[in-house]
Amino acid sequence: MQTQTYDLVVIGSGPGGEVGAIRAAQLGMKVALVEKAAHLGGTCLNVGCIPTKSLLASVTHFVKLQHSEELGFKTGKISFDWSKIMERKEKIVGGNRNGLLFLMKKNKIDIHWGVGSLKSATEVEVVGKDGVTLTLKTKHVLLATGSQVAELPFAQANHRNILTSDSILFIDHVPESLAVVGGGVVGVEFASLFARFGSKVTIIELADQILPYEDAETVSELVKYFRKQGIEIETSTRLNKLDDHGDKGVDVFTEGKEKRSFKKVLLSIGRKPVTENIGLEKLKVKTEKGFISVDSHYRTNVPSVFAIGDIINTPALAHTASAEAIHAVEVMAGHEPQVINYEANPSAVYSYPEIASIGKTEEQLKKSSTPYKIGKFPFAPMAKAKIEGATEGFVKILFDPKYGELLGVHIVGAKATEMIAEFVVAKNLETTVEELAASIHPHPTLSEVAMEAAHAALGGAIHL
Amino acid sequence: MADQAKVLMPLMGEGVHEATLVKWFKQVGQKINKDEPLLEVSTDKVDTEIPAPISGVIGACFFKEGESIKVNAVIATINPDAESVAPSAHQSPMPKASLENIAPTKQDVPADSAQAVSLSTHDKSMSEKNTRMHSHGPIKSSPLVRKIAKEKGVSLRNVQGTGVNGRITKVDILDHLENAASKTNSDAVGQRIPENTHEGTPKLITTFDAGGEYLEGVKVRREKMTQMRRLIAQHMVQSVKTSPHVTTTFEIDMVKFVSLREKFKEEFRQKAGFNLTYTAFITHAVVQVLKRYPLLNVSVDGDDILFKDDINIGVAVALENGLIVPVLKQAQYLNLSGVAKGVNDLVMRARTKKLMPDDVKGGTFSITNPGLFGSLFSNPIINQPQVAMLSVGAIVKRPVVIEDMIAIRPMCYFGITFDHRIVDGEGGARFLKDLKEFIEMYDENPIF
Repeated sequence: MQTQTYDLVVIGSGPGGEVGAIRAAQLGMKVALVEKAAHLGGTCLNVGCIPTKSLLASVTHFVKLQHSEELGFKTGKISFDWSKIMERKEKIVGGNRNGLLFLMKKNKIDIHWGVGSLKSATEVEVVGKDGVTLTLKTKHVLLATGSQVAELPFAQANHRNILTSDSILFIDHVPESLAVVGGGVVGVEFASLFARFGSKVTIIELADQILPYEDAETVSELVKYFRKQGIEIETSTRLNKLDDHGDKGVDVFTEGKEKRSFKKVLLSIGRKPVTENIGLEKLKVKTEKGFISVDSHYRTNVPSVFAIGDIINTPALAHTASAEAIHAVEVMAGHEPQVINYEANPSAVYSYPEIASIGKTEEQLKKSSTPYKIGKFPFAPMAKAKIEGATEGFVKILFDPKYGELLGVHIVGAKATEMIAEFVVAKNLETTVEELAASIHPHPTLSEVAMEAAHAALGGAIHL
Repeated sequence: MADQAKVLMPLMGEGVHEATLVKWFKQVGQKINKDEPLLEVSTDKVDTEIPAPISGVIGACFFKEGESIKVNAVIATINPDAESVAPSAHQSPMPKASLENIAPTKQDVPADSAQAVSLSTHDKSMSEKNTRMHSHGPIKSSPLVRKIAKEKGVSLRNVQGTGVNGRITKVDILDHLENAASKTNSDAVGQRIPENTHEGTPKLITTFDAGGEYLEGVKVRREKMTQMRRLIAQHMVQSVKTSPHVTTTFEIDMVKFVSLREKFKEEFRQKAGFNLTYTAFITHAVVQVLKRYPLLNVSVDGDDILFKDDINIGVAVALENGLIVPVLKQAQYLNLSGVAKGVNDLVMRARTKKLMPDDVKGGTFSITNPGLFGSLFSNPIINQPQVAMLSVGAIVKRPVVIEDMIAIRPMCYFGITFDHRIVDGEGGARFLKDLKEFIEMYDENPIF
């Protein structure tokens, strides 16, 4: 059995682990990265953010081409080659995988391919694909094992007609009809994607609104456009059973409704943390409701072991995991980074139109009896929105009436995920609506709507 | 049954707005006599005892050991004895603790720097430079914080920032407001000394395993510095950063001091009630010579030199678990007997923890005497914002050549360490030369 010694061993190479490993190497630490999959990058790169956004880019162009006559082009019937779209997706993913390998090499990070687990507070055991066991001695461990698709006991995926977010990415055609069970971010994004490629999509959601954690007003704006795109949405609806009949499709049984048949079903009810078989029990690492318990610096109850990302009870988002990983390794290196402000942690939904937000929703503020006022401005009247054909949606700022503090910002619109970044900075710097309104925004851009919403907050939107 | 008397946190000196509770001498329910020590507190300058203002039984204690107490906060209540109830004892029993005495300070800089002089590494005072930078430099905050501060009338100089590079965040100002409201309303604009200014102590990288913490493979035990130690560390590092230190040394024949002291020792003790020490002789001599060297009695303020009207001498006093340097004020007006009396008073009060913060303030020159422990030379660190410190070695009998004859004389090395920004080698040497002459020709009668 071989033994090697490190300052830091990172288990998992997703957007948490990969970023943590690089930052640690930059800080002068000798770092090892352990990955059990065939490629670096975790869910995000291999079966998450990156491949889905690649498909999204294709569908966005497809839709634009269909409407290109408005821009003065003469086109025939627009069609697509699904296999080419999938090829492009794989090429992008492959390119990024190579990019990660290059970055690891550049930062002199050792990659150990295999299943990593805690052996002691300062040892990580790696069981390689070939069955060879390696022990890595280390001063610190960063657990970044991420999450996996959660399953329903009564309706399991078979990856033929009943799919998960992992298997739908390798589907060989656009299905005629698709039932999306679970209207969270993943379900909504796939619903939006396949609907625009021509599937007849129905979202089945147990809660009384799709995207239950987003502001109700932005979600109902999204729902309006989803309905226009032909997406059916059934909220407060419980799935009872799925019967897969092969080529005939899947019978979907929901409570109180006749059975319906769909060619494919996507199960997107959520994700669960990967915390089994990584040695938590051996070291008595504390967990709560399946998540690893950490302090505000992501340290577990075992001082040399840190945990970040989807395995702790913070928003399960790639950028959140990256920020947490940087914080954790800086603490290991003796720095004193500022504690992460989750009120300025953006959420992003890549549907069409997009939703992006920070902070509290209006419903949360009502529930906690927090005084608030609203500054809201739609995209429709703005010149750039008309030019771009991106007139859907609005920017909604929830702010404290006394000092103008940003309590929540909710954007629904074509470029919402890009536009939220301005508010992330504003929130992090404790900017108030006055400074936002007084900040000059370039004309003509969609970002002017952010400034107008701030003006509206102060009672004087200009272009309305 | 008489009302309870409230014991308020007294004003410990200008610029001192809070103190840390070190320990309670009495617990709830115990009887205490007037002027008997009730608790001990520690400020950034001194540890001191707070006596009970009246006799009675302790009704309640509102702070725990280790907590900080703001000036004018209610520390405890005492249920007075029937005979000791006096109306004046109820609200503000301490001579200096009355509300009238609590005036919001208009000063930006807490007057706490460098008043305690020390043997090279023993000092309690805050670094002048740190405080000044905090007070006059730009303050990082946010638009939201500035709005809240404006509305509440809070000066951001008093708020400690915990954000990136000390930026004041919403949480910081809300904490500040809450503390001000809960402890005392009068201190809402008071100074707050930054607690995390670890100027002298860079962070180390340690590792952990189930067995404990390690530094470079060596197992360690982690212990927080006391406030005193933390401030000493900051102050020493800051002084070395601020002043280029230069030391020069002379050997001085102490025969006059020794013979005068031997001659008057008994008589002096009988008349004055305490011992006549070499420290008194040396201090007196230093003051007389300093009068001729005003450049050693200054502070440096940017490109300006601040000449001081008074000669206030910091005299080191060793304590059980540290060292404190009280200041003999306006020593230029004192004769030997007056110096001896003043020094004795400071030493006695230092040892019984009766010093007030004002007693360690305002020093203009310092004397350290490691000779008491047998040291021959030392290399002290200047007590900012002063510019010089005299160090005195042990008095040792040595063979010396006098007029081509060998004699046995009590000899002592005197060193002056000075700030080369202000004083050149010649100035330091001339001062010691004059001091040597003054001591070797000394003829003042200690009894008058």
